Amino acid sequence: MTKRILTSSFLLLLTLTWAPSLAVAQSIHSTIQRVQQRTVKVFGAGGIRRLHAYSTGFVVSRQGHVATVWSHVLDTDELTVVLADGRKVRAKVLGAEPQLDLAVLELQDKELDLPAWDLEADVSDAGPGTRVLGFSNMFKVATGDEMVSVLHGVVAAKAPLATRRGAFESSYEGTAFIVDAVTNNPGAGGGVLTTRAGRLLGMIGKELRNVESNTWVNYAVPISELKQPIQEIIAGKYRARQRDPDETNAVARYRPLEFGIVLLPDVLFRTPAFIDGVQPGSAAARAGLQPDDLILFINGDLVQSCRVFKQRLGRIDSGGVLKLTVRRGDKLVPVELPVPEKPEKPEKPATAGDKK
Amino acid sequence: MMAKRGSCGLSLWLAVVLVPSVSLGQQPPADLESREEQAFKEASAVVAPSVVRIQTVGGLDRVGRVLTGTAATTGVVVSADGYVISSTFNFASRPASVLVTLADGRRFPAKLIANDRARMLTLLKIEADGLSVPKVAPRDGFRVGQWAIAMGRTYESPLPNLSVGIISALDRIWGQALQTDAKISPANYGGPLVDIRGQVIGVLVPLSQRRAGRTAGVEWYDSGIGFAIPMADILGTLPRLKTGTDLLPGLMGITLKAGNVYASAAIIDRVRFNSPAEKAGLQPGDVIATVDGQPIRRLVQVRNALGNKYAGDTISVVVRRGEKSVEQKIQLIGKLEPYTPIYLGILPARQKQGEAATGVVVRKILPGSPAAAAMIQPGDKVVQLDDTPVTDSAGLFDVISRRRVGEDVTVHVERGAARQKVSAKLAVVPTRVPAMLESVEIAAPDPKPADLPTTGRFNKSLAGHDNNFWAYVPENYNPAHGYGLVVWIHPGSNTMEADIYDLWKPICEQRGLILVGPRAKEIAGWNLSEAGFIEALVKEMQQKYNIDDQRIVLHGYSNGCRFAYHLAFKYRSLFRGVVASSGPLKVTPPENRPDLRLQFYLSCGDKDNLYRRVQQTRSRLAGMKFPVTLRTVPDEAHEYPPIPVLEAIGCWIDMLDRI
Repeated sequence: MTKRILTSSFLLLLTLTWAPSLAVAQSIHSTIQRVQQRTVKVFGAGGIRRLHAYSTGFVVSRQGHVATVWSHVLDTDELTVVLADGRKVRAKVLGAEPQLDLAVLELQDKELDLPAWDLEADVSDAGPGTRVLGFSNMFKVATGDEMVSVLHGVVAAKAPLATRRGAFESSYEGTAFIVDAVTNNPGAGGGVLTTRAGRLLGMIGKELRNVESNTWVNYAVPISELKQPIQEIIAGKYRARQRDPDETNAVARYRPLEFGIVLLPDVLFRTPAFIDGVQPGSAAARAGLQPDDLILFINGDLVQSCRVFKQRLGRIDSGGVLKLTVRRGDKLVPVELPVPEKPEKPEKPATAGDKK
Repeated sequence: MMAKRGSCGLSLWLAVVLVPSVSLGQQPPADLESREEQAFKEASAVVAPSVVRIQTVGGLDRVGRVLTGTAATTGVVVSADGYVISSTFNFASRPASVLVTLADGRRFPAKLIANDRARMLTLLKIEADGLSVPKVAPRDGFRVGQWAIAMGRTYESPLPNLSVGIISALDRIWGQALQTDAKISPANYGGPLVDIRGQVIGVLVPLSQRRAGRTAGVEWYDSGIGFAIPMADILGTLPRLKTGTDLLPGLMGITLKAGNVYASAAIIDRVRFNSPAEKAGLQPGDVIATVDGQPIRRLVQVRNALGNKYAGDTISVVVRRGEKSVEQKIQLIGKLEPYTPIYLGILPARQKQGEAATGVVVRKILPGSPAAAAMIQPGDKVVQLDDTPVTDSAGLFDVISRRRVGEDVTVHVERGAARQKVSAKLAVVPTRVPAMLESVEIAAPDPKPADLPTTGRFNKSLAGHDNNFWAYVPENYNPAHGYGLVVWIHPGSNTMEADIYDLWKPICEQRGLILVGPRAKEIAGWNLSEAGFIEALVKEMQQKYNIDDQRIVLHGYSNGCRFAYHLAFKYRSLFRGVVASSGPLKVTPPENRPDLRLQFYLSCGDKDNLYRRVQQTRSRLAGMKFPVTLRTVPDEAHEYPPIPVLEAIGCWIDMLDRI
């Protein structure tokens, strides 16, 4: 973590000492000022077991609604928000969408007339290479009326955060802005990512580890995903999204043998999905699958082991076609197998939707 | 444009590399920064068709301590007929199958052709043609401060992922790589580092100055310290890689006299037996003057000059030998024969503090040794070996360690008033050690000094460290004598303090040992990052007590052994022995070194499930030519060694300083 701190402070310094042409400096300067006016510091629960008790938020209505990241910090009755000018205001959680890691706070002071983001007019989009600024109170560096920290970088990618469930330990699975600056630090969640012109791109997410590459990922959830929930929560008519039934708990509906595929014994953590044998007369035999074929793709998704193959196969839809791509020698061979009809398993009692 | 630049005090590096961006039917960019941004996007778009996605199937989930990822990684096309270069890191898991997806979405199975083990690159081949080969930035055009765009294809997106920075340094890691502050991580290892004109500067790899290996340098990901191997260099080795043979770092087989690497001259200290350097006639004491025509004034320049050489390359070396200059052509090799430790077979008497060193008095002659055959006797004083005078045991060891097995040496000994010369044929350090050895009596100090450090059993912590430790110092501790130090590395979830104290107390008293028991921060077990504490603890003990640095030993049991081995290999200059009971070695040991001796005593029950792996550990250590003794405890499962074995261990520690 020290390394991340160092990196971040380095970036911060770079931003502060960067003095481009006067005109640009003017515009960057006013951009930063404008964004900082709309960014707040959130203080709540935490402080024990290395959980930080602070995060960041951005003002989304003049009356004092603040969007922030849904986290343990909000799990308290003693929630305070420190505005850009240093005023300290109590807040309560108005609503949340855990699947987007989003919460909207309502400030408990009716007399506020705050500079706020216009989620229609102030929003933009960006692709790889676009220069961006990140604003957050990472590591609680700013206190009182000090402005939140600014980082700069470029959009590394705009891509789905999770290509499959479990790739990230995150509830958010949609498309995200991935940045090349170390924006996602403790307390940075709920900050904003903007273009250099100060257009809002996304809300900085939590600290997130990509379990596929074992690295930390710096990302922001696009405002386009958040706009509607934010507006609906403020209007008081929001209903949390239905969560898909948890795939890991789903019952395996199909097994390899039902297609006549006998796999190598699954002995390693990542045993490759080699076909050990094909039952005569089976769908696999008719499709021309052979022993020693290595199954690489199921319906277009890469399977990296026996285990993953069995999981994916368990979840395919009844009826229709199972598309496999196997590696045979040095060739990739696509095959199609008919999927037998099977009744849907009775749904487990719905638990989704009744979460906070 | 110029006026703007002039007025803003913009860092030079911004100005150097700006390229007029070609507007592809877009709004003309308003300012310098927007134009740069446009240039980043265009440069990456130019190279994007040559950047491929690599996915692996199967393989290990862990290499050493590093979890291998299953995420997609990146490669760069290097020839139109299907060759792709990538980082070796991406294949550290030894996958069963490798897939390459081209920028246009076509997918191919790939063959691993060869690795460049010096630069940690891997060449792949797919059966495709007409691939897009990127333009290569000329090596002489690299400037520190120029824009550098790192590209990868790890995400499910039609566009490659980018990270933008500058070139931070040239000729890093012994001249192999250039450094960038763009964010480099598994998200772009194997991908290209591109200049703002859309030319490939190099290929991104994790590297470390201190370590070698498939996963070295990964800990620096996204830190602002990233490395790229210049593409121009890669193209130079491509024909050799295409033949399918791995390229190994080139070695000539010398060690240089220790000194300040940035100040001292490169003086040859040792020449490895049977190495290219020996065959070329290089000698200890030669001063390296030039390598391939480059003048060498400092140690570090030798490393830099050799950093880009492979096994099979021939270099030309000029050395100064006295008044003469000698030039030699040396063909480098990939693997040197490990050093075989040499043995004369005497156990030197240990010098007491304040005694004058005028030779090495023989405490004991080890049975069956060259010294026994030469009829050297206990009490003899070794004063000279061949032409080299010997004053103390360190000096004698140094002379012997430069010799070879089977060589004859003349040992000059003083026996009583007479001086004799005897001839001995040097042998290999034996793996069997005598079971019995009379210990050296240490009397309590008389009179007792006032400032005697703590003795007996005590608990303590070390300033600046979270861990604490316990220790036992014999009650009759006498600072005039050097004591051996046993560092007890407890297994996970059990520090075994009471047992270890009871079992080791008599051995410590008999053999003149101090026992120190560091405690892991988490009771569950040792974290490798706690190594620094152990090092500090040993140094603390050395400061407080008179510790004989030839007898500092790590002792581990069960899963504590892993950490004990780690420490022994990490702090080679500190530890001289490892006693590993019922715990195998899980990593490849480094080679034995003549200057830093390290010996191993393994013990294990033959009913222990780990017994076979402990036997393998012995073979692995012996393969690197370490002296290693395995004591099998009959009819015992996974248990701490019984008293007779511990007594044998005490005896072995008492013989660690044998020569």
